[in-house]
Amino acid sequence: MTFLSLVLAAETVHAEKAHESVWPIVGSFGVDGPHLLVQLVNFAILAFILHRFAIKPALGQMEERNRLIEKGLADAQAATQRLAEAQKASDAKLNAASDEAAKILADARNAAKAAVEAAKAEATAAQTEVIAKAKAAIEADRVKMMNEVRGEVSRLVVETAAKVLEQNLDDATRGRLNEAAVKQLAR
Amino acid sequence: MSAASVRAEAKRLLALSLEGGVVSSELVGAVLAALTKSRSAHQLRPLLRAYLTNVRRELARGEARIEHAGPLSSADADAIAAHFSKALGRPVRPVARRNDALLAGFRVRVADDVTDLSAALRLANLAKSLS
Repeated sequence: MTFLSLVLAAETVHAEKAHESVWPIVGSFGVDGPHLLVQLVNFAILAFILHRFAIKPALGQMEERNRLIEKGLADAQAATQRLAEAQKASDAKLNAASDEAAKILADARNAAKAAVEAAKAEATAAQTEVIAKAKAAIEADRVKMMNEVRGEVSRLVVETAAKVLEQNLDDATRGRLNEAAVKQLAR
Repeated sequence: MSAASVRAEAKRLLALSLEGGVVSSELVGAVLAALTKSRSAHQLRPLLRAYLTNVRRELARGEARIEHAGPLSSADADAIAAHFSKALGRPVRPVARRNDALLAGFRVRVADDVTDLSAALRLANLAKSLS
């Protein structure tokens, strides 16, 4: 004997008893009491089975799906945050690199300026040295020329004087000069 | 013979050739005669050359070579020689030679010493001081 048959039997007894009080009214509306009861029991069993094997697993899967979705959303949010942080770090690095590049450029400009200034100073010093050397060489040439002219003039003067003396000195005068030289030697 | 021994030998021969501090022609002749007998030809040549140099130098030491422009009396030449004899402490005889290129005055050479009292030297000094 199954549970259903027992229920049907009990329902039958109970229906016979209730039949006498309520069911005449219900029956007048076309409702079969035992049959309704069986239907209710069947529905309950079906609802239980559905709840136990279909709805509950489906809800579990939905909850798992929701959890996964929430996790995905959280991961996406974290990824977005990390992306923002990475972007921020990248921007910071980019700014630092830009600053470094600007600093290097400024240093290079300063170095180039210093090199140009040094080259200018060196060129100026070399120019000054060349001018000084040229002046010294010109002065040396002038002094040398003056000395040469002076020497030449002196030589000409002396040669002329010698020729004049040679032509104009007679033996008498030379004799007197010799005597004077002898006296000078004796002193 | 080495060069040093030749010089030493020539110096010794010169000492043998002096008489009273003056080179004597007789002594020089005697030295030469002795040399030609005692030395072979290849030894004699360098020795005679060194001896000749010494004799010339010694003769120059005893001579006052006077170059003069114009006339120079013998009295003046003797006075010049006497001056150098007194100054050098040995007898010096005058050897005069006329050289009008000196213009006036004279130049005296005794051995390696030269005394120049010529107008040419004074003009040369003048030219040097002016240049």
